[in-house]
Amino acid sequence: MSIWPPQLEIAVLVLGAVLLLIEMFFVSLDKRAIAYAAIASLATILVATWYLAPALPAQATGLWSFYTADPLAIFFKRFALVTTIIVLVMMLDYTRRSTSSFALGEFFALPIFTCAGLMYMASAIDFVSIFVSLELVTISFYVLVGFDRKDPASLEAGVKYLVLSALSTGFLVYGITWIFGVTGLTNLNQITAAFEKIDIDKNAATFGALLVLVALGFKIAAVPFQIWVPDVYQGAPTPVTALLSVGSKAAGFVVLIRVLRPFLMLPHMDRLLLIITILTLLYGNLAALPEGNLKRLLAYSSIAHAGYLLIGIVCLDGAAITFYLVAYLLMTLLSFAVLIIVAQQTGESISDFDGLATRSPFLAFAMLMAMISLAGVPFTAGFFGKFFIFASAIAQHQFALAFIGVVTVGCGFYYYLKVVRAMYWNSSDKIDNIHVSMLSRVTMTALIIAIVWLGIYPQPIFRALEPTRISVALRSTTTR
Amino acid sequence: MQLFLFWCAALLMLVFGVAVILNRNPVASALSLVVSFLGLATLFMMLDAYFIGIIQVLVYAGAVMVLFLFIIMLLDLRAENLRKINWPATAGGAVVAFVFLIQVLSVIGRLTDAKKTFPPLARSTIDDVRNVGVTLFTNFNFPFQVIGVLVLVATIGVVVLSKRELANK
Repeated sequence: MSIWPPQLEIAVLVLGAVLLLIEMFFVSLDKRAIAYAAIASLATILVATWYLAPALPAQATGLWSFYTADPLAIFFKRFALVTTIIVLVMMLDYTRRSTSSFALGEFFALPIFTCAGLMYMASAIDFVSIFVSLELVTISFYVLVGFDRKDPASLEAGVKYLVLSALSTGFLVYGITWIFGVTGLTNLNQITAAFEKIDIDKNAATFGALLVLVALGFKIAAVPFQIWVPDVYQGAPTPVTALLSVGSKAAGFVVLIRVLRPFLMLPHMDRLLLIITILTLLYGNLAALPEGNLKRLLAYSSIAHAGYLLIGIVCLDGAAITFYLVAYLLMTLLSFAVLIIVAQQTGESISDFDGLATRSPFLAFAMLMAMISLAGVPFTAGFFGKFFIFASAIAQHQFALAFIGVVTVGCGFYYYLKVVRAMYWNSSDKIDNIHVSMLSRVTMTALIIAIVWLGIYPQPIFRALEPTRISVALRSTTTR
Repeated sequence: MQLFLFWCAALLMLVFGVAVILNRNPVASALSLVVSFLGLATLFMMLDAYFIGIIQVLVYAGAVMVLFLFIIMLLDLRAENLRKINWPATAGGAVVAFVFLIQVLSVIGRLTDAKKTFPPLARSTIDDVRNVGVTLFTNFNFPFQVIGVLVLVATIGVVVLSKRELANK
């Protein structure tokens, strides 16, 4: 049944609007109820994705030239929904003790709009719809990053994000203009067909593609465009950081997967991506080594993980990228969830985690699972993520990439296990139990189980993607 | 004549665009932006995009900038003190901008289409406004709706970020 194809997004948008109206008209209502309602409704929509997903029509005309509902799109819609649900749980924790006078209703409602933007982005197959959905996501992030107005760090992060993000948007539009100027098209499938012709000006098209890559590099925090990451991640309210590091990055990679097919027909693109990948891997891992603040550490780690994901992009392995993103979602959100609760008790630096094992064994165990998965210890989702990425690198004879990847994983072990050491070996003078709410406990347990489960049995992710055959489709373009 | 007009408008835009950044007085910056927008509107008109040109003047130069000026004057912003210029950063930025300019010029230089003269546009039988409207509501209906959501989010954001502190918390 399909009344109007983007019905899932519309459901999310209506939910956001209704929650805002409820918040406005029922003044005496406990604002937390809005978050609970949002979590429940988003979970319902998540279940509905299995039943309400629109079927692809035979011909891509009208709406369908902007929007697709292939399995990749549906998968990333679910990804966005899960991320938003977990972030809302974190927001509940974050605002529990927070002294600042937040406009709570909007704080809970804005991520829902971000989620709708991410869902639109997962389906976008036209530069126009990529651009508008990207802007929807970015503008809601402008507000969320600077939400804590009383905190100068949050304001600074908001301004930095606004200025740099606006600059990257400028690059995106300029790049799209060049590609449109060369081909007269904005639809990615038609552009792919147009690039196959010989009479296309390859120089100008490459220039346009390069500018689009700059903007996407900013979104996924790849190296020369990563300067904003540590400051913005540190200054933003922690749940927003989590949403930024998972949602924004995943959306950037979906768009990257989609534009890769036409872009790789252009000269020099593969070499350029290779250089960006190597730089990102080295910078993210090396800069994280001396870091003592956990939030900044996670920011550098997010750059490093963008590097591993880019290996997948260079090797054109859509399935490996998707699996890695899922693993990244699980472990990053888990570490942020623990960080929020611990930061309210003590602080954000690694030394604040001293003796967490005695203060709260559950939180320490959750953090342990997140950290060893981020580092890539076997029997965690993170291990299989890296395994598939490196396997495809070796299959594509990208030995240099695989080598640098393995070496940087070694760095990763050092800085992730630093946190584990603080929790289990260092003792703390503070012996106070940390209270963890039921909802967070359930969420974290689910995340831990998912990490272990995917670390032993990764097939479900591949099965969800099977009909797309994105990797096959991508490979066929390279052999051409 | 057309080429001459183009250079006039383009120069006007660039000079006043730079003035927006260099001016330390916010009112002067805002007024420079108005002039820059007028240059942009001229360029649109020369491309036969009358509707967009007029919108540029009415909405951007007119409404948006007047609102800017209003806010600047209401907040009583004063001219910023001259900051110390960070020379290495400025030089680095200039180098990046210069390299980018060279890149753009070299790509345009090799563009074969850039050397051709474009055939004159066919006279449209229906007016611009109607054309824009029809395109927006038929072909580009979907992005148009997403932009509607975007504007809603922006409105919420502005309200949240500029709201007075809540008393009850």
